[in-house]
Amino acid sequence: MIRLRGVTKRYDGRVLFAGLDLDLVPGRTTVVTGPSGCGKSTLLRLCNQLERHDEGAVSLAPIEIPAGLPHAAWQRRAAELRRRTGMVFQGYHLFPHLSVLANVTLAPRVVQGAARAVAEAKARQLLELVGMAAAADRFPARLSGGESQRVAIARALATEPEVLLLDEPTSALDPASTADVVAVISDLRRRGVTQMLVTHDPQLAKALADELVQLG
Amino acid sequence: MLRLLVSLALAAVGSAQSPLPQRYRDAGVLRWGADAEGGAPFVFVDGTRPGAGEVGFEVDLARELGVVLGVELRRVQAPYESLVQVLDRGDCDLVLNGFEPTPARRELVRFTRPYYVFQQQLSVGPGVTGVRGLADLVGRRVGVLGQSQSHQVLLAQPGIDIVVYESNVTAYEDVVNGRTAASLADLPIARALRPLFPRLVDVGEPFGAYYYAIAVRRGEPELQRALDEAIGALLANGTLERIYREWELWVPAEARLGDRDVVDAFARDGDDRAAAELHWGAVLSLLGTGALRTLGISVVSFALAVLLGLAIALLRLHGPRPLRWCAVAYVELLRGTPILVQMLLLYYGLGQIEGLRLDAVTAGVLGLALNYAAFEAEIYRGALSAIPRGQREAAQALGFTGAQALRHIVVPQALRLSLAPSTNDFIALFKDSSIVMVITVVELTKQYQMLANATGRFIVLGFVTSGLYLLMSLPLAYLARRFERRLDRDRA
Repeated sequence: MIRLRGVTKRYDGRVLFAGLDLDLVPGRTTVVTGPSGCGKSTLLRLCNQLERHDEGAVSLAPIEIPAGLPHAAWQRRAAELRRRTGMVFQGYHLFPHLSVLANVTLAPRVVQGAARAVAEAKARQLLELVGMAAAADRFPARLSGGESQRVAIARALATEPEVLLLDEPTSALDPASTADVVAVISDLRRRGVTQMLVTHDPQLAKALADELVQLG
Repeated sequence: MLRLLVSLALAAVGSAQSPLPQRYRDAGVLRWGADAEGGAPFVFVDGTRPGAGEVGFEVDLARELGVVLGVELRRVQAPYESLVQVLDRGDCDLVLNGFEPTPARRELVRFTRPYYVFQQQLSVGPGVTGVRGLADLVGRRVGVLGQSQSHQVLLAQPGIDIVVYESNVTAYEDVVNGRTAASLADLPIARALRPLFPRLVDVGEPFGAYYYAIAVRRGEPELQRALDEAIGALLANGTLERIYREWELWVPAEARLGDRDVVDAFARDGDDRAAAELHWGAVLSLLGTGALRTLGISVVSFALAVLLGLAIALLRLHGPRPLRWCAVAYVELLRGTPILVQMLLLYYGLGQIEGLRLDAVTAGVLGLALNYAAFEAEIYRGALSAIPRGQREAAQALGFTGAQALRHIVVPQALRLSLAPSTNDFIALFKDSSIVMVITVVELTKQYQMLANATGRFIVLGFVTSGLYLLMSLPLAYLARRFERRLDRDRA
């Protein structure tokens, strides 16, 4: 599972965190919380290397990514790491030119080479799981925020990642949509999906955390 | 009183001098229209004799005519193909420019008696053998200056594949390049250009007898008669022969200039013969063929421009550094220079290099594609940059490689963004495509020009041609608007 050892991240000359150790626990949901600007999103993005760290190492056995790798080697390992993780963004980042179904099937088909029929059957199951099965043929522009985020979760799960990374998944949503999305995350938690979630909301952190990490 | 005496004296000589119309005598000036571009030996700027100004046998002739008529002859520059229109509009008073009284022109203007008899010279390329005359050129490509007497001669010879040029120089250029087998030209032009094309071979003797005459507006018989008599005077006193010998243009056929049938060759009675009826079937078939060619050239060159433009935009944003510079240089170069120059370089410039000799349609399509690719590249670059960073991050997080993210996520979205501006560009290219006429491609606009020049029906043919363009471009504009609406809907 993802493991951080002695990780330091500097940003604009400021140290966000230094010498940080973190072990995600398989089957459990780790919630990282703290005031805004404390670097919790950066910490999450280090876990799939959308950000690079300045010291220490990030690993998901057998992948080991020490700080300061040459660019080509880092790129190779980071891509490997990302293929084994899934990520949900605060702003959803659905692909607007693709239908909901195609959003979910694209990565399995392109990255994993899955057959269309297989990918689509799997995608429909996932959309069922997040309560969006009826929207399979709609386009992202026609979805509400909560609906978009639930599709984004299905998309992140489609490649069967070992861990799901969620970056403030509800902070752009109204209360009703938030409840829908939290229900999906709770459901995944019950099903034993390994999750790492970043939030600034202490109540949400309390409600979802198996492990709680307080930053800042 | 003195003037009266002079005219009495002239009358006494018996040359019944027709007076120049009063308004020209009052003005003291007659404006003669001619094209000095590529105008040797008629009227041209002699680059080998700095300070000589405009020279040519017609410059000398105009000066002598002025002396006889008692006015100054002042030259007005006008493109050769438009001389009739320039005359009609009143921007000049006469046309003196190796102007041949073709039947079509005689419908439009009034001609004086001939002042020069010219013949035709056939020239072939260095590798062409077995050609002794026009009859040996059936089925082969022969270049000729559009709207010229030589053009008429070729049209009268069935089976020759005629290629029409804007100038004799480019027509000869393509004979040397091997794009055409031969070129037919008026003898004076052939003689004047020969030093530029030492590899051309003249075949056969000069043949035929055709005339240069001065054109005036149809409603000005007095001006025509005054000019007739002035020409007669210059012929009688040996001035014409002196000028032509100075320019090495005197050929034995000139001896016939004074013959009755030559003098009266273009004399006519009545001023207002009705213009020839248009044969609408033939006109529409010619314009329709031109329209199809315009459409074909536009579609193929735009498809190429889209592919090339996208490749350039991707290189510029994501390519390795040296290629990025190349992409920038390409765009700036192609956008910053006139497409006309690019087209001429591509066709005539490359044509001088063995192996890079493109046929006219290929060169035209390529020229439009290369030029428009630069504009498309800028559209795509803007669109690619407009795709939010989050899209690439989402793709990365899903394990896409950079190339996969571009292909499946970024480029498809960018193309949708570019759809509307790109369609507008296509409509622009569609109208710009008429530029290929400078490299001998006969498309819709060129076909219109040729038909209008041959018949004088500029207005009615212009409406028909515009109608054909609209018929093709309106559906495009409609499609562009639909694309835009669809895009708005998806983003709502």
